[in-house]
Amino acid sequence: MSPEALAAALDAEHAAIFAYGPIGVRLDTASAADARQAEATHRGRRDALVLRLTELGATPPPAAPSYALPYPVTDRAAALKLATEIEERTAAVWRAALPQTTEADRSTALAALTDCAVRATRWRRRAGVSPATVPFPGRAA
Amino acid sequence: MGAAVLGPISGCGLFGDEEEKAPPPAPDPLAPLLTEALSLAGQHEAAITAFPVLADRLTPVAQAHREHATALTKVIKAPAPSASASPDPSASPTPPGGDAKSTLAALRSAEVKGQKSAAQACQAAPADRAALLGSIAAARATHLEVVR
Repeated sequence: MSPEALAAALDAEHAAIFAYGPIGVRLDTASAADARQAEATHRGRRDALVLRLTELGATPPPAAPSYALPYPVTDRAAALKLATEIEERTAAVWRAALPQTTEADRSTALAALTDCAVRATRWRRRAGVSPATVPFPGRAA
Repeated sequence: MGAAVLGPISGCGLFGDEEEKAPPPAPDPLAPLLTEALSLAGQHEAAITAFPVLADRLTPVAQAHREHATALTKVIKAPAPSASASPDPSASPTPPGGDAKSTLAALRSAEVKGQKSAAQACQAAPADRAALLGSIAAARATHLEVVR
């Protein structure tokens, strides 16, 4: 069991939660509801990671006060693009945790990788990106 | 006299060579997952043949299953039965019955089943296989978003 892998996942979850703020305000109503649900899921993962890291005797890394966005999120297209990228990045971090984990931690990592991948696909569909799926979610392209 | 002459012949035996062969290697635990990936690819390809209107949706999914099969073949030590090239004979020749809607429903349940088996394989895998199997399980989950 490697606390480092889970700490990396926690860092990614903090960043994802931050990003959904500027994303949400640029989306249409239906997409904004999905964004709120996505953010809630990331908060749930974050809380579980904080507990688990504490249980392992590690110090959970705190969220940064702010995160630099890779580009200005000024419209729906940019919001959908960033949402897709956030889920891809979070999927990659959880995928990297798989070899470092066993049993319940691996099961958590797999569930997180899977739901990040599903959300990335949904965002690509909303953005009209085709294909909406990738063969190996979480793997560097 | 005769026995002394025949002795070496029966002793060395006509089948001596075979006795020295190693026993066949135990099948890799991922062999069923490889078979499943090929079968899923074959089912999507058969659906595309039967309903060309589904090609845009299903082609990337079929390709993903082929890529999974190729990746699994690479990590499986034992030689796999002509895994990467030929379509699975059990899946592809059977044209899907019914209409496009019921075909999609059948593909969806195959993906659900496939996701479950990939997730189980990921959970049981040694560290060096966990990431690949996790990606395969996640990919199958995403297929449910587009196979509809």
